Amino acid sequence: MKPRLPDRVGIALLMLVVAAPVGFSLGYALLYSIGAVGLLSEGITAEHWLAMLQRRELWTSLLLSLHVATTTLLFTTSAALALALLLRRPLERGPLSALLYVPLAIPGTVAAFLTFQLFVGGGLVERWVSALGATLGIATPSGELVPMVHDPWALGIVATHVALAIPFFALLFAELYRTEAVSELETLATSLGASRAQVLWRVTVPVLLRRASTNLVLFFIVVLGSFEIPLLLGRQTPQMLSVLTYRKFALFDLAERPEAYVLALIYTAVVFLLLALVRRLPQEGGSLG
Amino acid sequence: MAEGEEKGRLQRRLLSLAVAVGCVAPVAVLILLSIATRWPAGQAWPAELTGERWGELFSGRGALLESLVLSITLSLAVATVSTAAGYLTSKAIAFSPHRHRLLLLAYIPFAFSPVILGTCLLFLYLRLDLAGTAGGVALAQTMFSYGFAVIFFIGFWTPQKQAYEELVYTLGGSTWTAYRRALLPLSRGLLAVGFFQAFLISWFQYGLTLLVGGGRVKTLPLKVFDYVREANPYYAALASCLLVLPPLVLVLLNRRAAPSFGVSR
Repeated sequence: MKPRLPDRVGIALLMLVVAAPVGFSLGYALLYSIGAVGLLSEGITAEHWLAMLQRRELWTSLLLSLHVATTTLLFTTSAALALALLLRRPLERGPLSALLYVPLAIPGTVAAFLTFQLFVGGGLVERWVSALGATLGIATPSGELVPMVHDPWALGIVATHVALAIPFFALLFAELYRTEAVSELETLATSLGASRAQVLWRVTVPVLLRRASTNLVLFFIVVLGSFEIPLLLGRQTPQMLSVLTYRKFALFDLAERPEAYVLALIYTAVVFLLLALVRRLPQEGGSLG
Repeated sequence: MAEGEEKGRLQRRLLSLAVAVGCVAPVAVLILLSIATRWPAGQAWPAELTGERWGELFSGRGALLESLVLSITLSLAVATVSTAAGYLTSKAIAFSPHRHRLLLLAYIPFAFSPVILGTCLLFLYLRLDLAGTAGGVALAQTMFSYGFAVIFFIGFWTPQKQAYEELVYTLGGSTWTAYRRALLPLSRGLLAVGFFQAFLISWFQYGLTLLVGGGRVKTLPLKVFDYVREANPYYAALASCLLVLPPLVLVLLNRRAAPSFGVSR
């Protein structure tokens, strides 16, 4: 069928709204990072790239971002799988199937604020634990119970991301369990002599993970580039890539700006690599490309 | 055996209860903080509860009502444009011979960090005189929710839908008739869900709004952070309630409208 006017408009919009601005912006970032443009530009140079690549700040920031994204993904996947398999019936019907949607309406900004209020030294959790301890006559430790705000291991950032994402993935896994007829596959494996552990690790978990792989990789990318949660709960150093890029860009020191663009381009390269990976994942509906 | 089953059932019930409490508790804490007058250090419960802040909000005395109206207007505009444009683009991509490459392009704003892409985009917005304006913020947000809408609608365009469209043309219908009589009625439910999700992308957006708006376009997420920085948790909680409660009601009414990290749900 020949493309009609709305189809041509659709493609033109993609070029106008996405391709042109993204292409222009990344091109500009590249030119700025090599000193070809910019207020303090003194001609093309690899200086900013070399300086940034030799700086510890970049690598610790990249490592922190990868640590947060990987840890979040691992904890979220494990917890969501456990919930989906243990609470399969309550997730299909009953009050829990509705209540699990509540956290999906909470944005990162609010989640970060809540974690801050609950877990900062002298925060609500500490007060409630002390009050409970006093009521039960048990001595409770004073000070931060769990280091979740500005902590060195980014526990608060990870925990907030995990808490936000578990409901979505639990619902997703429960839905996939039903639509992929996993229960029938389990029965088949059992009738062929597989033990309960073999059914779980060789049938159930691989089927669910394979089917949700696109969502999982996209979630990894979303956490890797997250901003609000690490901005409020993270330390001054190291900072996650988005926060560090923003800080370098928003500073009054224009000399830091090429470095902000170097960071943005490094992040872009990482995301493109991950998107290429998503594209290769074997999946129906929902796969990239 | 029966005892073991009973124990397992009890454990599952306890787990269900813990999960249910974990789901509701954040919203309960927000509401409690928004109605607390004072919460002295070391106290487990606020000294007093009041509806004064909520009253102040709806009487229009504070700055929050302005932010609420701005956020609603901005998100409605972004969602309308993104849904319509994303719907058209997704169809064009779905039946294009260059489907793979075009779809990868649509994934870029969907997958990228808004702050990092916003950093690169800011020069363009400055040149176009759009930085620091609500229009600029709307345009920047549209790019992201449009990318999402394209990915969201792509699964709708199956060979069957194409066959319906061709049937309309075979019977002498125009492009407009194909959309009005066949395609739009078939996708009405999906359009509503797509619109709501595009609305949420704009509604929750913080980093890009901060960057492109230069801190001058005060949407609700920005107000939450402003209040946190001012060490005013009570107003931060009130702004948070305004951010959370409308989507919460809608998500509970229509569960398909829940936000997603991808497309296949």
